[in-house]
Amino acid sequence: MSFKRVVITGMGVVSPFGNGVSVLMQGIEQGRSAVQRMEDWDRYIGLQSLVGAPAEVKDEKRIPRQKRRSMGRMSIFAAQAAEEALVDAGITLAQEDRWRIGCIIGSTMGSAKSINDAFEIILPNKDLGQLNSTMFFQCMSHTAAVNVAQYLGLNGSIMAPAAACASALHAIGIGYDLIRLGRQDVLLCGGAEELHPTVTGSFDILFATSAKYNATPQDTPRPFDKDRDGLVCGEGSGILVLEEYEHARKRNAVIHAEVLGFNTTANGFHVSQSNKESMVACMKQAMNDAGVNPGDIDYINAHATATIQGDQEEAEAIRDIFGTSVPVSSLKGYIGHTLGASGAIELAASLTMMKQNVIYPTKNLKTVSPDCEGIQHVLQPISKKISTVLKNGFAFGGINAALVCKKF
Amino acid sequence: MTEQEIIEKTNKVFEESFEIEKDKLVPTAHIFTDLGLDSLDIVDLVVALQNSFGVKIRNEERVRDIRTLQDIYQFIFTIKKEEIDKKS
Repeated sequence: MSFKRVVITGMGVVSPFGNGVSVLMQGIEQGRSAVQRMEDWDRYIGLQSLVGAPAEVKDEKRIPRQKRRSMGRMSIFAAQAAEEALVDAGITLAQEDRWRIGCIIGSTMGSAKSINDAFEIILPNKDLGQLNSTMFFQCMSHTAAVNVAQYLGLNGSIMAPAAACASALHAIGIGYDLIRLGRQDVLLCGGAEELHPTVTGSFDILFATSAKYNATPQDTPRPFDKDRDGLVCGEGSGILVLEEYEHARKRNAVIHAEVLGFNTTANGFHVSQSNKESMVACMKQAMNDAGVNPGDIDYINAHATATIQGDQEEAEAIRDIFGTSVPVSSLKGYIGHTLGASGAIELAASLTMMKQNVIYPTKNLKTVSPDCEGIQHVLQPISKKISTVLKNGFAFGGINAALVCKKF
Repeated sequence: MTEQEIIEKTNKVFEESFEIEKDKLVPTAHIFTDLGLDSLDIVDLVVALQNSFGVKIRNEERVRDIRTLQDIYQFIFTIKKEEIDKKS
């Protein structure tokens, strides 16, 4: 059985820099940081990290009320990113076989704010009577996928992988498989997540957040840096249009890249600690699936969130396979860690870099930490012809994901 | 509470919760066909009316008979009157 080829024909992003892929790239090109001190977070007892990279909810009233009422922040982000991706792809849904277009959009969980609000309503008096009709639809784990499908009127496969920070890459990997197996023609794939003190708190209680830079938020996170002290949560959504190649060719679509390979592995030994061995296996198997060798990779977009242990394990894993031969950068210093959305937002940025033949550096990486040496860190923008990129994404639960894309 | 106050508070619910323009809020407006509410909106309407008027109507069978804004005004007026009668 031969697999079908899968290409990426559309990209859409809502990030802490604003709405749109071009706005994201502008922020990165200018070397800006979207991280800021979060107002009122100091009222949470025990929360050490008071910084975040918020995205603005804007133009949400363009979404009709009866579609919007079931959306928390993350679903609004996802709907807007999906809309941009569809426009970018030039797809008119009415002209397509509606049973063969769907969406696969992952996240760690449902809307953090809505979940928090729901319990604030219920718990004081154990009263369910004050809940509105759509709160559950904002809280459920597949909220972003469902809301995008309802908003756009999609009738094909709708799925929502929940794999924390690897969710978006899982969504793209699943979409890649469904299309190459011939089950779907077009899938909007990616992730969405939102910033909330309880979300940052889930990392904070494990000492995985950045807590030393509350007074100088733009200096953190610091992936691979000797002074890194943890991650900074962000929010937003990234959606990519994955399309069967012949389908894209027939309608003369502009093709951003071809998806060549995907893999996901688990470390199987610890729920929160990263593990080099399983990362190495993940990257190698993704390249094997893609039919490429380490020497074919021109750029690695690292997961690197600036945690002490995670960055070290990823740097060692990359070093074991690539040594210093391939430029590596992380985008977390610009927009924070957008968690379940990060894989798709950062892939959209990486594919844009591939188009522009430029690699943007790891922001806030001033002095490479000794435990992250041995790989080719990007400290200044590099002009380089990029044909093939490797995107990493790792998550709590010991989950690893890696995707290989090639310029078309 | 006067009838006018009931009308104003009810209309405010429709403006704020359901984003319906003021000029559409006429007593004869049918809440489904004219104002575009659906079954989920009715759940939210009940919660909003409970909060606005301090009444408990979630399990009220009479909610099912409501069709127009005038029906809501009348229903709230009746509920409030029943409350007063109970107290006296």
